[in-house]
Amino acid sequence: MALKVLTVDDSKTIRMIVKKAFQSYSCEVYEAENGVEGLAAATKEKPGLIILDITMPVMNGIETLDRLKADADLKNIPVIMLTAESGKDNVVNIVKKGVKDYMVKPFKGEDLIERVRKIVPLEARGEEESSETKVARYFSQVDDVVVLTLPAKVTRPVTVEVESGLAAKIKDMGAAQLKKMVLDMSGVSETNVLLIKLIITIFQGCQKAGIAVKLVAGAKQAEELKGFQETSQVAVANSIEEAKASF
Amino acid sequence: MGIDSGEPNSSEKEFYMTGIQNVDLRGFVTHSIASVFETMLSMNLTAEDPPQRENVTTGNHVVGTVGFAGAVMGNVNVFVSRDFAREMTAAMLGMSVDDIGSDEEVHDVIGEVCNMVGGNLKSKLCDAGLTCSLSIPSITFGNSFRVESKGWDRHELLGFRNSHNSALIEIYVKNAT
Repeated sequence: MALKVLTVDDSKTIRMIVKKAFQSYSCEVYEAENGVEGLAAATKEKPGLIILDITMPVMNGIETLDRLKADADLKNIPVIMLTAESGKDNVVNIVKKGVKDYMVKPFKGEDLIERVRKIVPLEARGEEESSETKVARYFSQVDDVVVLTLPAKVTRPVTVEVESGLAAKIKDMGAAQLKKMVLDMSGVSETNVLLIKLIITIFQGCQKAGIAVKLVAGAKQAEELKGFQETSQVAVANSIEEAKASF
Repeated sequence: MGIDSGEPNSSEKEFYMTGIQNVDLRGFVTHSIASVFETMLSMNLTAEDPPQRENVTTGNHVVGTVGFAGAVMGNVNVFVSRDFAREMTAAMLGMSVDDIGSDEEVHDVIGEVCNMVGGNLKSKLCDAGLTCSLSIPSITFGNSFRVESKGWDRHELLGFRNSHNSALIEIYVKNAT
């Protein structure tokens, strides 16, 4: 079973670095932005390891650690403190509170993994998901309409997967004489430049192949799309059904 | 885990006795920022002396700030151009500059760099008996603004360079008593 790791840090950057450090191992990494969210996530997920920052808004790492240790269900979860504060009093204080180890920032991902290995066993991740399987999860079909569903976070790897999968899917659609696609971005949590570029690429690719595309987005997303010159004129449907009906 | 006794060593005792005026703030912060850049960004920094403020503050730039307060009070400000901030973000997150999704990521990285430098300095001060707490980082960005702090006992401005980019670190410190 994959090890559940909870990283609690107000810095998204640090959470990403921690996540990246574990990506070669059979781990599920959960994220929380502060102590309150961290305690809630720990209660829900019962992680096998918590990596905890000290200086955070809402609830800092020291208070979070106190509450973890006071909770019968959570007190045995090993905690590694990851902090920019290496003062002796600080370190003595957190060690007394029962942390398994601490790391001082700046740090490298591999150093973190080395520390973790001393506390919990880490298994290398098994065979990687094939690229075909990765791409297939974005596409589905409803009647004669192919639906391309974007994930919550559109990152560079996602855009690469979608773009490469799109080329193959367009080819398949040509062979099956399918001429309609719905691009569903209603589950995307953040409208960023990568997303806009991806939408344009999808529209252009389909247009070139003679495939009609309709975009599905939430009301807030539709407003955000208007803020980008490239997507300001794109018609938006509220649901896949509405998009299908508009072909 | 190797933890020492927590007793200040002789240089720290001297630090405590003489207060903040005789502390080698410049040396400590130079070492700290170089370590952050090398470890987190795989970038080497060299000192730029005298610091070239206009290289950083002309045009769009980003300033990360952390404060500390207690027996000693102070600010650490890290200034970089927006372009350098984006290069730093790409380096820290292992992506290309073109792949940076939003300024939020850039600001988070500058805030984290500032937090590491400020956190290390705060720890040094605490070890010397000057107990203080660190604030969470804040970010200021734009192309026409000036950051100034007044009434400090000590002010240091340090310049650094990486390839064609410059960075500035400004430190303000004041004894609370």
